[in-house]
Amino acid sequence: MLVLTRRTGQSIMIGNDVKVTVLEIRNDQVRIGVDAPRRVQVHRQEIYEQIARENAAAIREARSTTETLRRARPRQDPPER
Amino acid sequence: MTETEVPRLEEAAILQFPAGLPGFPGMRRFALQQLVEDSAFQLLESVDGDGVSMVVTRPWLFFPDYAPEIQDEDQDELRLVRPEDAVVFCPVSIDREAGNIYINLRGPLVVNATTREGRQVVLEEDLPLRAVIEVDTY
Repeated sequence: MLVLTRRTGQSIMIGNDVKVTVLEIRNDQVRIGVDAPRRVQVHRQEIYEQIARENAAAIREARSTTETLRRARPRQDPPER
Repeated sequence: MTETEVPRLEEAAILQFPAGLPGFPGMRRFALQQLVEDSAFQLLESVDGDGVSMVVTRPWLFFPDYAPEIQDEDQDELRLVRPEDAVVFCPVSIDREAGNIYINLRGPLVVNATTREGRQVVLEEDLPLRAVIEVDTY
């Protein structure tokens, strides 16, 4: 891993079109700004990995999901008595 | 964006996801088809020969108040000008042990109905990755 020291307001470039800027440092939190082309999706790592895990689960279970839901529709609210 | 504004994509449409899906970045072309006629569920199947597919559904069928806020970057990249251009699907998964069916409200698939291009967006709002849904079989 490349390790660089930067101060508040300083940036690094990743390739030609992604700029990462340190905006603010407070205690153990860093605010980071990312300038990237629209096609580059920028996510917090934890949520990206959660979405990837859910995709993996959906893909792994696609066959049984298909079988289970082949004849299924959203449950209707039970009629009031 | 409401359900009534969501256009229908014809069956077996080929959708492009230029960025792939998180965890599956190499998969870019998917065929969308109904599980059965008039189903609430669709199968999104990779057409690049890797055997990857997932079941998806329209979230509003289960969560009428769902209101995903699509970021400007995603709207621009998908060239979404009007809300009615966007078609939104959520991945469906099953936990066979628990007997639960889930939909992922946090990471919907947003598709431009005209260009057939989509991306899986990650919503800033803290919505569940696994919202339980109830179905009746027929």
